Amino acid sequence: MSPDMLILLAKSLWETTYMVAVSGFISALVGVPLGIILATTDKRHILENPPLNQVLGVIVNAARSTPFIILMVAIIPLTRLLVGTSIGTNAAIVPLSIAAIPFVARIVESALKEVDYGVIEAAQAMGASPREIITKVLLPEAMPAIILGLTLTIISLIGYSAMAGAIGGGGLGDLAIRYGYQRFRADIMLITVIILIGQVQLVQSTGDYLARRLNKK
Amino acid sequence: MIALQKIEKTYKSSNGMVHALKGINVTIAQGEIFGIIGTSGAGKSTLIRCINMLERPTKGTVTVDGQELTALSELELREERKKIGMIFQHFNLLSSRTVYQNIAFPLELAHCSKEAIDKEVMHLLNLVGLLDKKDQYPAQLSGGQKQRVGIARALANHPKVLLCDEATSALDPQTTKSILGLLKNINREFGLTIILITHEMQVIKEICDKVAVIEGGLIIEQGTVLDVFTKPKANTTKEFISNIINHNLPDIFDDLNLSPIPTENSNLIVRLSFLGHSAEEPVISSMIRRFDIDASILHGNIDHIQTTPFGTLIVELSGEANSLEQALAYLQTRELGIEVIGYVSRHADIIS
Repeated sequence: MSPDMLILLAKSLWETTYMVAVSGFISALVGVPLGIILATTDKRHILENPPLNQVLGVIVNAARSTPFIILMVAIIPLTRLLVGTSIGTNAAIVPLSIAAIPFVARIVESALKEVDYGVIEAAQAMGASPREIITKVLLPEAMPAIILGLTLTIISLIGYSAMAGAIGGGGLGDLAIRYGYQRFRADIMLITVIILIGQVQLVQSTGDYLARRLNKK
Repeated sequence: MIALQKIEKTYKSSNGMVHALKGINVTIAQGEIFGIIGTSGAGKSTLIRCINMLERPTKGTVTVDGQELTALSELELREERKKIGMIFQHFNLLSSRTVYQNIAFPLELAHCSKEAIDKEVMHLLNLVGLLDKKDQYPAQLSGGQKQRVGIARALANHPKVLLCDEATSALDPQTTKSILGLLKNINREFGLTIILITHEMQVIKEICDKVAVIEGGLIIEQGTVLDVFTKPKANTTKEFISNIINHNLPDIFDDLNLSPIPTENSNLIVRLSFLGHSAEEPVISSMIRRFDIDASILHGNIDHIQTTPFGTLIVELSGEANSLEQALAYLQTRELGIEVIGYVSRHADIIS
């Protein structure tokens, strides 16, 4: 393989990692609080608020049911507004984040709902405020499940980022299509797939390890 | 110390409105161990949750230590709750925290300093006998140990009241005994008022001073444990008590032809119940000496309600009709419970 090819691979690997890392971070930043609101405003929970819960639920479902490739195109105006352009790696981060936010929110919601309500009740009996219940009870108790959920999100983002090539986002998936598929370079195709598999394995085992470390059940 | 007045609680459920509590009045004195017993669905869980307002009563007032909790805002209520400890059937410990951190939790909520927390937690660990387990996680503990952590956690803020929600129902009898012993010690040592709910009469008998029986959202009977145990009025109460003290006649009496009035040549069968000091009086032997009668004991049972002996005897008295009458009159003047079971013809073979 030529040095040019190696440079291209390295650049693509960096682009994928960058897109996934930034959009993963943004989706956690927005998705975790959203998940907390979804869980705690549900019926018979600490901040019960059915109207808010239902409105958020509908928005989250709408975002989740839109296929990523369509979402990417549909929000081009928003991407332009935020990044100044609709083409490139940075531009791809916007649809990636928007697709991952509701995913994270639902994962966090279900992780928090798994926390035994008796434990929440015990904290209430000790005079804990809703904020204290969230930070000191719900999040620590659900942390292993949340970590596994975020792992799943990152892996999905690696997959989605391949589609970002369609708007010039770059990355390994884009490389595999442009060189491996369109230019019949089987070696490039193979190597990008192997790198992607390795990346997914690494993320999964790191997530598993962290979740296991935190799980005291 | 605690006054519940006209507590009512209604829920909306899928089957319409549920009237869980229908007007409960209970007063609990400082330092008392007060038991509330009922079958599942009787409303006892709802009732104990009303005391610290985990469930807000639909109607009525809850007053704890002079503070009317039903009149407080959420914020004020949170501060008051810190003075009321609570332990649970399923312990409800934080699985992500060690034993030490679990006990420290209420102190963190009260914004205590690290040093103050450490001092208090070490003291509590010692009190409940779990010093060697302080860095373990709840999953590594037995049920009894988990409940000890629960108790230590509930005591961390020096509460005046401890609520026990079926605290021993998930434990084996041996462990139940040790947990009850611990609660009793805490009650004596700190003068802590304890309210516990249970479906096991054994628990009430073991440590409670007073008991209330709840059924269908109403208190159907309440009083000192001794009174309720020796003179139960409601059927539900009798049923609960029969599990540990047998008030029913033994089966052998079923086949007898008992007559409510004396017949010719009949023997009298009576049930005597003794309580406390009366158990020490030689009633039967002095009766035999005074009147020309014989007495044979058909059935006997002695029990202790905490430290007070409580016994029942079923005795068959034989003699002249006249003497039997006098003996019965004599028994009725003594300090004991007496119940005429009936008259039976003299030659009936009772114990076959």
